[in-house]
Amino acid sequence: MFNDKEASKIVDIIKNFARKHSLWVVAYGTGCGAIELPPTMTSRYDAERFGIRGSATPRQADVLLITGYLSVKTLKRVIRTYEQMQEPKYVIGFGSCTINGGMYWDSYNTIKALDRYLPVDVYINGCMPRPEAVISGFIKLQQLISEGKADGAKRYRENLEWYRENQRKVIKNWRMPEYNW
Amino acid sequence: MNKNLYNENQTIEEIKNTFHTAEIKLQRESRIIVKLRSDLIPPFLSYAKNYLAFNHLAHFSCVDWIEDNEFELVYLLYSYEKNIVVIAKTRISRDKAEFVTIKHLWRQAETYEREIHEMFGINFTGNDRLNEFILEDWDDIPPMRRDFNTIQFAKDNFYTRPGREDAQDVRETITKKSGEKIPDFAKEFSVRNLK
Repeated sequence: MFNDKEASKIVDIIKNFARKHSLWVVAYGTGCGAIELPPTMTSRYDAERFGIRGSATPRQADVLLITGYLSVKTLKRVIRTYEQMQEPKYVIGFGSCTINGGMYWDSYNTIKALDRYLPVDVYINGCMPRPEAVISGFIKLQQLISEGKADGAKRYRENLEWYRENQRKVIKNWRMPEYNW
Repeated sequence: MNKNLYNENQTIEEIKNTFHTAEIKLQRESRIIVKLRSDLIPPFLSYAKNYLAFNHLAHFSCVDWIEDNEFELVYLLYSYEKNIVVIAKTRISRDKAEFVTIKHLWRQAETYEREIHEMFGINFTGNDRLNEFILEDWDDIPPMRRDFNTIQFAKDNFYTRPGREDAQDVRETITKKSGEKIPDFAKEFSVRNLK
């Protein structure tokens, strides 16, 4: 009745439908944006009606929220967290600091463009983005997932050397584990 | 100013009688600035803690006076009994950035000293925990020294996304609206001049 290609297409549609309604966000707050997450999660904005929930460990999570500026020291931890996450995994850059440095454009210790170091699926701009903006960012991510365009993990695997080169340029003393996904 | 400065004046008198060389200034109500020679700082802090009941080290920080080739160490002591802050200031040479620790008086001074050691490169003799604190793998000159060029460092090390070059100085728009003028010293730090 179906050939293989069509069958996998239908399976993908079902998979993506399931994925987009169950986004588990790893509880990792960097910078000042983490303060916008409690109102997003609690009763007033209630992100859970979109299937967005917090998760305790990176291995159980789907979404890594980078909530604000990233110092070099934090970048190390974020890279380790991201690499421990299981696929499917998505990164949301949150606030203007992750886009172009924001108010920390001349800082000696913060990176200015997150997508040089981690594959970003959705950026939310603003300083800080309000809970409405956060939820609209998540809905954009859901759209991308249902269209099959949120392929950050795949990009990271394919261009690992380029990402590693950028990461090593910033992190001088490289003592990171090597994974073989 | 019709306030009762009894506590302040009494404290100033007591400090004056014990440390003759100290420059004392009553900045305002409940703020006393004491400028001292650097070798008088440990006895002064000990005296303030034990005899004048300034038993809370509220803050300890450093200022870089690059024009005078000096670092200024600033100790803020608070007294719960008198409700006064005494600010003890001293200057040390920038070439030989070294000072004695005060961690035997307040244990929390150790953490302040670690931070100042990392940010300004001042060595506190007697403090054996002056290892890596907040910055990881830092191999440049300490970043809070004023001869450290932050903008150049950020340019060299971190990728700058194009598109911010035509950023407008917000203050120019504000001054156009309100009719105020930007003072000359502020113009120096305008976004246009930094490029």
